[in-house]
Amino acid sequence: MEDIHAITVSDLSFGYGESLLLDQVSFTVRDGDFAAVIGSNGTGKSTMIKLLLGLLTPISGEIRILGKSVGQIRDFSRIGYVPQNSGHDASSFPATVEEIVLSGLYREIGFLRPVRKKHKLRVAEALASVGMQDHVSDLMGELSGGQQQRVMLARVLVNLPQILLLDEPTVGIDAVAVKSLLTILHRLNIENKVTIVMVTHDLDVCAPYLNRVFCLTGHNFAENRIPESVIVHAHPPRETEDLPHIHCAACEGGPHNRAECAACVSAHAENGGTDHV
Amino acid sequence: MFDILQHAFMQRAFLVGILLAIIIPCIGTIVVFKRLSLMGDALSHTSLAGVAIGLLFGFDPVLGAIAACLFAAFGIEAIRRRIPKYSELSIAVILSVGVGLAGLLSGFVKNASSFSSFLFGSIVAISDFETLLVVIVSVLVFGLFALLYKELFYIAFDEQAAALSGVPVKLVNTLFTILTAATVSIAAQTIGALIVSSMMVVPVATGMLLARSYRQNLVIAISSAVISTVSGIILSYQFGTKPGASIVLSNVAIFLLALALRGARKWISRRNITTKSARKEPSAPKGAADV
Repeated sequence: MEDIHAITVSDLSFGYGESLLLDQVSFTVRDGDFAAVIGSNGTGKSTMIKLLLGLLTPISGEIRILGKSVGQIRDFSRIGYVPQNSGHDASSFPATVEEIVLSGLYREIGFLRPVRKKHKLRVAEALASVGMQDHVSDLMGELSGGQQQRVMLARVLVNLPQILLLDEPTVGIDAVAVKSLLTILHRLNIENKVTIVMVTHDLDVCAPYLNRVFCLTGHNFAENRIPESVIVHAHPPRETEDLPHIHCAACEGGPHNRAECAACVSAHAENGGTDHV
Repeated sequence: MFDILQHAFMQRAFLVGILLAIIIPCIGTIVVFKRLSLMGDALSHTSLAGVAIGLLFGFDPVLGAIAACLFAAFGIEAIRRRIPKYSELSIAVILSVGVGLAGLLSGFVKNASSFSSFLFGSIVAISDFETLLVVIVSVLVFGLFALLYKELFYIAFDEQAAALSGVPVKLVNTLFTILTAATVSIAAQTIGALIVSSMMVVPVATGMLLARSYRQNLVIAISSAVISTVSGIILSYQFGTKPGASIVLSNVAIFLLALALRGARKWISRRNITTKSARKEPSAPKGAADV
């Protein structure tokens, strides 16, 4: 039986103007993965998320989400997207938490149709899942950065998404709020089986919750391995074949098979059995 | 006091004023939250170019104003889509076109008084036809606004997320552009092209000072616009001032009152917090001074 991945990207190329940002990128995200996308500023991390949502059109290549080509997807309610700085941007909008989360449920409410009690109940459930049930009537501008980010998360969770795409959700919030947000995401990933792809610069903080890390460098994606010792939960054990092409910082040999690389094996041993991410 | 309502022209002024005070803040709420606060300025100034064309070529200047407003509103939307990061530039460009054209064409208008009546409005001197036009446009604008309430809210909040959620963004934006153009052009005729913009923004700003939700903001904006319109007309009747200017200054007075109220509310809540924390402050343990 054909294995349907949550996200499959094949030979994807994209650029702004004449400069190529992503060159023949291919990777897959499996159902239940909690993956981080890392890389320097301007390497195309946020662009990749927008390509996954069909907000940008690639030069070539194909993106499939839940087995469907992204261009054919009309209903994005199963794919939750929290943009960069969305909590901060929403803070200047004079609306209550409930009004904002309700806006995520638009497809279910329908064009020109009124909001009903069952929709408000769904909003209450989504807010409870991120611990914001006591802030239903609060104005967004009165919440802290971490709370605003949790409301924006509830706005996509209200649709019970299968995939979450988060663009730097931990930016601008304090360490306690980051930890709380990651705990919520971890629970969604483990208990609700939500596949999560998250652009981040806070790899050290996020690493314990992840099972995959994609590094965007030199116009391409490479997968780095998370040391098992730092993972806080049991993801399905990964086979070596899962990680065929990586960029190895130790040998700087470009994409290659880590298991067959002497430099990698030696570095692995020197690090006391943990990997050199 | 109540003899003011015995005159037919004053009854019309109240009817038209109240209807406009209901629909202008509806449009204003979305315009302000889309961060296009000066859109009213650009449209009303462009409407003057339409008025001048109407007066020059001998057709109803209100129709000219409507056509010019539609052109300006779609122009703003088209430029905004092409440079979304600098969307306010679209207003500056259209405002320049409007002011330039109005200035140029007004030089050829022979009846200068009819042109200047559009600058400051003539709510107490509008005809039955214009009253009917305001009633029809108001019913249409308010009806469509109520129908598109949540769609407009979602687009104003986050246009990209609204599109991903399935909101027909292009259709709703097009309808809203038409509603805005229609509202501004008929309002320019009655309360004046120079005043429409402030009627669109100031009541919404008042709402933002006091409201505890988006819905409340809209209700407060409409209420303050209605109160300022009624009081402005009464003041202009009593003291012989220009109605449009009186309405806008009443609007600003309500805004200042709201600002003071908000300040007082903040001061009281800060005082309450200080009092509570002083009460919670643990007293020094007995005998502490002896240690």
